[in-house]
Amino acid sequence: MISALGRTVLTFLTYLGEVACLAQETIAAMFTTKIRWRLVLQQLYEIGTRSQLVVAVTGGFTGAVFAAQLYFQLKRFGMESTVGSVTAVAIFRELGPALSGLMVAGRVGAAIAAEIGTMKVTEQVDALRALGVHPIDYLVIPRTLAMMISMPLLVLEACAIALVSSYIVSVPTMGVPEAGFLRNLQYWVVLEDLYKAIIKGFFFGIIIVFVSCHQGLKTTNGAAGVGRAPTEAVVISSLSILAFNFILTFALNVIFPAGV
Amino acid sequence: MIETRDLTKSFGTKKVLQGVSLKVNEGETLVILGRSGSGKSVILKHLIGLLLPDSGVVLVDGEPITGLPERKMGEVRAKIGMLFQSAALFDSMSVEQNLAFPLLEQGIRDMKVIDDRVAQALEMVDLAGEQRKMPADLSGGMRKRVGLARTIVGRPRCVLYDEPTTGLDPITTDSINFLIRRLQRKLGVTSIVVTHDMKTAFHCADRIAFLHEGRLHFVGTVAELKAHPDAIVQDFIEGRSGDTE
Repeated sequence: MISALGRTVLTFLTYLGEVACLAQETIAAMFTTKIRWRLVLQQLYEIGTRSQLVVAVTGGFTGAVFAAQLYFQLKRFGMESTVGSVTAVAIFRELGPALSGLMVAGRVGAAIAAEIGTMKVTEQVDALRALGVHPIDYLVIPRTLAMMISMPLLVLEACAIALVSSYIVSVPTMGVPEAGFLRNLQYWVVLEDLYKAIIKGFFFGIIIVFVSCHQGLKTTNGAAGVGRAPTEAVVISSLSILAFNFILTFALNVIFPAGV
Repeated sequence: MIETRDLTKSFGTKKVLQGVSLKVNEGETLVILGRSGSGKSVILKHLIGLLLPDSGVVLVDGEPITGLPERKMGEVRAKIGMLFQSAALFDSMSVEQNLAFPLLEQGIRDMKVIDDRVAQALEMVDLAGEQRKMPADLSGGMRKRVGLARTIVGRPRCVLYDEPTTGLDPITTDSINFLIRRLQRKLGVTSIVVTHDMKTAFHCADRIAFLHEGRLHFVGTVAELKAHPDAIVQDFIEGRSGDTE
């Protein structure tokens, strides 16, 4: 029992160490090697442009549902004009970054792990090395840079669409007075909320890209391994996002204590 | 040109190499023979630094490469090209892009030079004019040839062949055997061929090294191998498993 627990802890720590080493080597290489900007642009399209639909739909329906539920509850106390502000605070601080992170982990994380995993088991990663190209430079850095740029923008996009959908549900659909909706929104939502969304998006992007690249690069066992890599990448990324979100919430509250 | 001294390598509890010392001279073709799983490809991957030995050392041009950081292996790998068992073509790139890749990585930017070098390499492997094809559209033999063209396009001094004829029909196997010999003659490269195909071995080899249970059981010329009295060597040459019905 104790040895099994020890093994699990050891496996977990080994895993954390491997991902940390990958992150450390990638970040160091960003400053010391030539960046392949053509690949970064390709990845910006794959990660950023092609994730917009999924992120927009997530933001849109989350904002709409959240606004509807708030309206049903707050109307009983005559506070329905606060629907927009409460939705906005929840979306910017928590739901926007976390849900966008989970959706991008599902779409992009799986694709990264599958693509690199396939390259690994078909010896394409070894071929890169044999041709004198470091796999981190060619595979990991472009994806990391693209994710660092895309993810905060995707989060902002999700938040903006969530706000618009909460407005549509509250004002034209449920009849919340527009002036009250907008006044409360301006009063309660501060610039720091935007920063929090951007910072969370940035860190969630980093989690997704390093977890997924690591899963891809350690893929073995042919087709079965390639099948497992995306699943594990999505599960580990998603759980890490949820856990790290909790830590970030406290950390950001220290950095931006003005939060209401 | 390449030397290994007392290489050992284990995967888990399985000891794959148990003290392999081998010297490959400049310009010669050495064939490493052995049964499947005997560690032939593992030796090859050590020679180009894709695997790190548990102990022992690999020397290229007299310089030890074992333990060099991955980022310092570029210089060594510019001297040595490797044809992988699966050809390992980049499947998101066309034939032309696969061949241009090593040239672009060498810093060549003149597209005319790249186009010429790509065309020359494809011509050498009898695939002139196939630049536009994608790896998925190629047969097994063609993939091996394109892989070989990508290996030689950067003009390495040594080419490592990992099972170059495995999975190919006898005619394609024969043409690959001739190709290996022709490239060695035309380019004067040192070649190390890992195979368990006796026809390939006898056709290509200047010397043969026979690997058995992680150790070099025999190193010598083709004639010496054929005349070798050892039963293990002779059973391998004749393809005798010792099983009876």
